Amino acid sequence: MKPSNLAIMLAALMLPPSGVVAADEEQNLKNSKPAVSHGHRGAKTFHIDNLDGATITYIKPDLSSQSITPVMGKITMPVSGVDNYHALVVEKDWGDHKEVIIRYQYMFGRPSKQNPVRLTAAEKSQFEIVPHPLPREHYRYHSQQAWQFLARYQGEFVANQPLTLSTSNGSEQTLNTDQHGRVTFLIPDDFPGLIEGERNKQSAQFTISGEYQEGDTTYSTQLVADYRVNPSHWQSTEWGVLVLGIGFLAGGYLGKNLKKRDKKA
Amino acid sequence: MSILNLSVIRKLVQISAFVFFVYGGLITGYYLEEKISGALPALSCAYDFQGSDLCTLIPIQHQMDHRLGETIAKGGNLLMGVMPTLITLGTFLVLFVLLNKAFCGWLCPLGTFQELLQMIGQKIGLQRQDSLSKSLVGKIRPVKWFILVVLVFGFPLLTGMGMLNHDLGDPFCKICPSRILTTLATGSTEQLHVDTANATTITLTLFADFLFGLMIALGLTLRQPFCRICPMLALHAVFRKMGLLRLIKNASPRCDRCGLCAKACPMDIHEIHTDMTSRNVTFEDCTLCGRCVEFCPDKDVLQLKYAFIPVFRADPQYFKKRKKAQTNWEKQNLITWFGNKGNKSRAESS
Repeated sequence: MKPSNLAIMLAALMLPPSGVVAADEEQNLKNSKPAVSHGHRGAKTFHIDNLDGATITYIKPDLSSQSITPVMGKITMPVSGVDNYHALVVEKDWGDHKEVIIRYQYMFGRPSKQNPVRLTAAEKSQFEIVPHPLPREHYRYHSQQAWQFLARYQGEFVANQPLTLSTSNGSEQTLNTDQHGRVTFLIPDDFPGLIEGERNKQSAQFTISGEYQEGDTTYSTQLVADYRVNPSHWQSTEWGVLVLGIGFLAGGYLGKNLKKRDKKA
Repeated sequence: MSILNLSVIRKLVQISAFVFFVYGGLITGYYLEEKISGALPALSCAYDFQGSDLCTLIPIQHQMDHRLGETIAKGGNLLMGVMPTLITLGTFLVLFVLLNKAFCGWLCPLGTFQELLQMIGQKIGLQRQDSLSKSLVGKIRPVKWFILVVLVFGFPLLTGMGMLNHDLGDPFCKICPSRILTTLATGSTEQLHVDTANATTITLTLFADFLFGLMIALGLTLRQPFCRICPMLALHAVFRKMGLLRLIKNASPRCDRCGLCAKACPMDIHEIHTDMTSRNVTFEDCTLCGRCVEFCPDKDVLQLKYAFIPVFRADPQYFKKRKKAQTNWEKQNLITWFGNKGNKSRAESS
């Protein structure tokens, strides 16, 4: 298999719906009863094909790491016992072509007391795309949001580097990094079957990829993350302002009446 | 005459604290791990991504939901389930002991906002509600305890036990005006919305938006409308005896029971005036703002003490100056300004 094909295959198959998190959330959606457990605390599993010869590293928030051996094409990020972002790094070395896929995954557990900046700042591969910042703890990427990413080669930011964002829903956009190696992508609002006013818990995956040439070696990197439907589809600011206005009028009326009532008293 | 008095100093501290807690994350950092304590005894909201710290009520609700509630539901080790809450309360207490209820009166962003509203109301010439009657205050007081027990502890716990909808996992945050205020202050309208996901979210968001509007309107004429029902005030009340800063009353014959202290109190604590037996008069609704001490005309009758050291004492000379400054301040508003302008132009034309 050619290296480029493998990269595409790896990225495409790391889709969240096959993961434990997605399965749990899907189940919660089906059940009308609330789930007792959050379903977030367990290990996260991802299906990946063509892992022969790949090096898989699991990096914890304190930057300690362990190698992971895939089982039947599945990679499991084990429970580390601590919370915050963990990184999964899948690397494959074809000699003159080095490929890497990086995924930052929030894990629940006791407080790790580690700043996610440590994890993003750490060099996980020679050429990598780094979220700047990651969604804050307990938050996620959502469609319609603009997020910044950095392209980094051996710790140095790479200017004017083309990066492509593609989503599992079929969208694609390519932008170049600025002189500081930064690029800002607007995550597309491309979920099918959305009904305005109705909550939708669909998640999809975006991949930001880029290729960097240094001498005879080509470095391919992919940052993989999940994103969800923007809540603005079922949250109306206009109605919020209206209700605030009603509250304001009610407050004015109440204030006036309080004065009258207290004067009488 | 110097314009510097305790109230002015307090306002400067409040505005600085507002800026720090609402925008300070730009300095301290973006991630939760970079926030100062994660258990601040004031309503600095976690939904404000630019904030420098977050209020203790959000971790408590999450821990009730995801730790204690789930532990109870699964029949796990209760001590392990309650441990995160104990750690949060421990952090809260370390801070709280230092300043006691002054977190409300001096540092809370929402408290500051309400005081600014009151100043705006006064400056545009709205007639202020000086004090609420004793009976009305008595009726309002239990509300904060109800919110603390039901919304901060009760509903999240039941949610964790699987007995309530997941949207009731942090119900106080969902209705807290600080969430809307601090996010709006950073230019985000994301938290001012009606959420049509389900009946629970509709109810909570309608209530939140209505309450925010209500608070703004009431705040223009009534002192600290939301503070009176704030569950943080109730949580403070539980631990108030442990705080180093206290309001002390020397109920000596020097106190002529004029009642000016109670009138000055923004929380309408009538007991400051009537209670002649307690020495520590840091009552459950007190925010340690010190206004009662400022407006006490009887020497040393009321004092703010830090441990055993008096930091501010009632003084007849200070009282006179303060009262004069207050009268001057209250005279200046848009109505009198327009009135004076009208008089001037009439005088000129005649």
